[in-house]
Amino acid sequence: MTAAPPPGDGQVGLVIDGREVRVPKGTLLLDAASEVGIHIPIYCAHPKMDPVAVCRMCLVQVEKLPKLQPACATVVSEGMVVDTQSDATAKAREGMLEFLLLNHPLDCPVCDRGGECDLQDFAFRYGPDTSRFPITEKVHFDKAVPLSDKIELDQERCILCWRCVRYYDEITGEKEIVLQQRGVHTAVATFDGQPLRSDYQGNLPEICPVGALTHRQYRFKARPWDLIRTKGVCPECSYGCNVFVDSRDFEVKRFASRDNPMVDDMWLCDRGRYSATSWNSTSRLRRPLVRDAAGGVRDVGVADAVKEAARRLLAVSERGGGEVIGVLGSPDCTNEEAWLLQRLAREVLRTPHIDHQLAEMLRLGPAEHALGIAEIESCTAVVVLGPEPEVNAPVLTLRLHKAATKRGVAVHRVAANAEPRDITARVGDARLVGVVADETNRARAAAVASALAGGGTAVKRMTVTRGGNGRGVKDMGLLPDLAPGYRPAVPAGMGGRAILESATSGSIQALLLLHAGGVLAGLGALVESALRIAKVVVVIDTKPGVLADAATVLIPGHSLMEKQGSVTNLEGRVQRIRAALPPATSVPSELRVLSMLAGALGAEGWGSGDLMEVHRALAADVPAYAAAGNGGRARWEVAAA
Amino acid sequence: MFKEIAKGMAFTLKQMLSKPITLQWPEEQKPSPPRHRGRHILHRYDNGLEKCIGCELCAAACPVGCIYVGSAENDPAHPVSPGERYAERYEINLMRCIYCGYCAEACPTEAITLGPRYELADYRRERLVATKEDLLEAWPGFEKSLADNPRGAGADQREQAGRAPGVSPRVAWEDREGAVGQAGRGSPAAGQEGLAPHVPTVATPPKRNPG
Ligand code: SF4
Ligand code: SF4
Ligand code: SF4
Ligand code: SF4
Ligand code: FES
Repeated sequence: MTAAPPPGDGQVGLVIDGREVRVPKGTLLLDAASEVGIHIPIYCAHPKMDPVAVCRMCLVQVEKLPKLQPACATVVSEGMVVDTQSDATAKAREGMLEFLLLNHPLDCPVCDRGGECDLQDFAFRYGPDTSRFPITEKVHFDKAVPLSDKIELDQERCILCWRCVRYYDEITGEKEIVLQQRGVHTAVATFDGQPLRSDYQGNLPEICPVGALTHRQYRFKARPWDLIRTKGVCPECSYGCNVFVDSRDFEVKRFASRDNPMVDDMWLCDRGRYSATSWNSTSRLRRPLVRDAAGGVRDVGVADAVKEAARRLLAVSERGGGEVIGVLGSPDCTNEEAWLLQRLAREVLRTPHIDHQLAEMLRLGPAEHALGIAEIESCTAVVVLGPEPEVNAPVLTLRLHKAATKRGVAVHRVAANAEPRDITARVGDARLVGVVADETNRARAAAVASALAGGGTAVKRMTVTRGGNGRGVKDMGLLPDLAPGYRPAVPAGMGGRAILESATSGSIQALLLLHAGGVLAGLGALVESALRIAKVVVVIDTKPGVLADAATVLIPGHSLMEKQGSVTNLEGRVQRIRAALPPATSVPSELRVLSMLAGALGAEGWGSGDLMEVHRALAADVPAYAAAGNGGRARWEVAAA
Repeated sequence: MFKEIAKGMAFTLKQMLSKPITLQWPEEQKPSPPRHRGRHILHRYDNGLEKCIGCELCAAACPVGCIYVGSAENDPAHPVSPGERYAERYEINLMRCIYCGYCAEACPTEAITLGPRYELADYRRERLVATKEDLLEAWPGFEKSLADNPRGAGADQREQAGRAPGVSPRVAWEDREGAVGQAGRGSPAAGQEGLAPHVPTVATPPKRNPG
C-alpha cells in the first residue's frame, strides 16, 4: 500500500490484482494491465485511437477512489492498487452487458460476426446468466441498411461504442459517420443519408466490436471457424500491407488485416481488401501447349513443353546469339522468380535485354527508397509530389494523416511537377524531410531532394513503385542496366518498350515472358505485332489472353495466392508470402520450370528449383536480403559497408 | 434326466406353436420408436419457408464434422427462409455420421432433427452424402407456391415433383404400411397423398412479466 517514493526514471509502479507492474509514466491502466497479462474487456477503446471512455465496459476498482474507474482512460499513478476481479467490478460488468443486450437482437446465428464477436465473447465470459428483461419486449431497429455498396449496417446490433465515428474523425479524417438522435433512439448513420465514399470503408467492420457493420462482399460467405488463415501480403500495390488470406473451400473469402505497425498500422484500403475474391477466378491456364509454325496446337506435358521451349530458343540464339532474345518479367513475380529469371537470362540465354515493365527506368538506386513508412512519423516535413503516390499506394494517405494529426509532421501535398525552389521555400526550416513520389516522377523527386539537401536539410526519399512486387523485381535486377542489388549490368541491354519494338522490327526474334500478362495488358498494337512477328514466344502466365493466344510455347503459372516466396514493399521490406489456395494447374512451380529450362538449355548446377535453394542463392547474391530476413528492410547502405 | 428332456421339449413345442417374431424385412417394416435417431430431416414452416437459416451451428457442433453448410442471402422478394440468411447447400455425409443428435441439439430454429429412417445402406458412396434436396421435408403447397413465386419456397422441389410420394424423407417412410411417423403422427390428410401435414414446432415464447 505505501509504495516506495517514485524513482526518477519516468516509470510508475502500481499493483494490479496483486501483481506489481512498472510502466512508463502516462500509460493507461488498460495497457498496464495487458502488460502483465490481465484482460480487461473493452468496447470503445481501440489501440489505434484516443480514449473516450463511453462504453463503461472497462470499469475497474481502484483503491481509495469512491467510484469504479474506466481502465481505458485512467492514467496510472504511483502506488495505485487496482482490482479487476472484485465483486464491484464483476457486478458492473454484468450490469453493462445486460444493458447492452437489452435491445440486442441476439441473432448470432445469422450474424456475420458470430464466432469472432466481442459482445458474444464478453457476454460469455463476464455476462450475467440470465436477463431480467423479456426477449419479446425488445425495441427493434432497421436491419441490413446499406451504408454504401460495400458496407452494411445492422442498427439493432450496434452497441454505440463510437469506434466507427472516431475512425472517420481520427484515422481517415473524412468524417462520414455520425451518431443520430438521443437515448434509446441513437443510431449510427451517414451524414444526410449519403452513401459512404471513403476508400477505406473496409476497415469499419474490423473495428466494429460487434456485427453492426459488415462487409457486403463477405456477407454470409463463411463462419469464422470455417476459414483457413494464411499470412499473406496484399498483392494489389507495392505498399505491402500485411493481410490474413481467409479461405474456405479453396476460395479466398476475404482479406483481413494483420497489424504490422511498421507498414499498414492495421488499416487496409478497399482496393486491396476487396480484391480478395478476384483470386477465385476460374479463367486460368491449366495445361502446357506447343504451337507449331502452321499454327497447330499440341497439348503436351510440362517436360516436353520445356524441352520444346529450350530447343526453339537455342535455334534462334545459335544463329543470332543471345542478343536476339528478350526477357520480360513483371511486378507479379516473387523475388525468387525474378532473381532466377534474370539469372537465366544473363547466365544461360546470355541476353542483356531484360526488364519488368515498359516505362524506362535507368540508373535506379537504393537512395530512392531510403525513407521507411513508419519513419514518416519522425520527419519534420513530408513533401508529396502529385496525387499519384497516394493513388497507387492508398494506405499511405492514412499514415500521412496520422503523421500530420498525431505527430505534428507538416505534410505538403504539391503538384507533381512543382518547382524545387517553391518546395524548399514552403518547407522552410526542417530537420528531416521526406520526399514521396511516384516512380514515374523520379527525375522531379531527385531534383526536389537535391534542392532540399542543398539547403542543409537531411532528406530521405520514398518512391512508390507500381505493381505488387515492383520494388522486389527492381532489387532483383529485372532491369536492363542493373543486376541484382543495384550493381551495374555489363553490358546494359534494352528496356521493355525497346524489346517489344525490336521484336516488331525483327532484331529480337524470341521472347520469354514470365507473368507479363498484367504489364502488357492494354498495350494493343505494339504487343500484338511484337508477338506476331517474334519467331519464338515462350509464355509462363496464369490467365488466358493475348499472350497465351500468341505463345508458341505456353506453360501455365501459379497465381500469387498459390505460391510461396517473398515480395518486397516500396520501402524495401522483404515479406514472405505463403500458398493460400491449391494450385490451379499440375505444372510445377515457376522456379522449377525455370530451372528445368536452364537444364534443357545446357546449363549446369541449377538444381531442382526448390524454393529454399533459390532463396539461399538469392541471399548469397544480395547480402541486403540476407540481412533483411523475413519482415525486415533490405538496407543497402548497411549492406555495402 | 428324462424330466429335463421333457422340460426342454415342452419349451420347444410351446415356441413352435407361438407367433414367430421374425420380421420379413424389407416387405415387412419394423416401426422405429418415436425418438429414434435415424436419417436427418430438414423441416419447413407451415408456409413452406425452410426453417434452416444456414447458421452452421449444426456443423460446428457435429463431433465428426460430417455436415457442410454453404449459406447465402435471401432475396427479400423470393425468400427461401425467414430472415436474411438461408442454406444454399446443405450436405450430410451419412457414412461418417454417428447419429448422436448433437446437430439437432445445436440448431437454433429446430430445422434439423433425426428421423425414423434407418435403412441407409447403398451400393454407391456418393449416394450416402445426403444433399439438401434429399433431406428437406416436402411441402404440400409447393405446386401452388411455385405458380405464385417460382423462385421462392418449395422451388427446390421442382425436380422432385415426379418423385412423389418419395418426395420427402419423412413421407417416404411414413407412407409405408405399418410405419409410424417420427412424432407418431397418423396417416396423411385427405387430398394430400403421401404428404404428412406439418405442425410447426417453433412457438412464440410466452410473454412473461419481468420479475
Ligand atoms: S453482434 Fe455479436 S452478439 Fe450480436 S448478433 Fe452478432 S454475433 Fe451475436
Ligand atoms: S456501428 Fe459498430 S463501431 Fe459503430 S458505434 Fe455501433 S458498435 Fe460501435
Ligand atoms: S447426428 Fe451427430 S454425427 Fe450425425 S450429423 Fe448430427 S451431429 Fe453430426
Ligand atoms: S440446420 Fe439448424 S443449425 Fe444447421 S445450419 Fe440450419 S439452422 Fe443452422
Ligand atoms: S473501453 Fe473503457 S469505457 Fe469503453
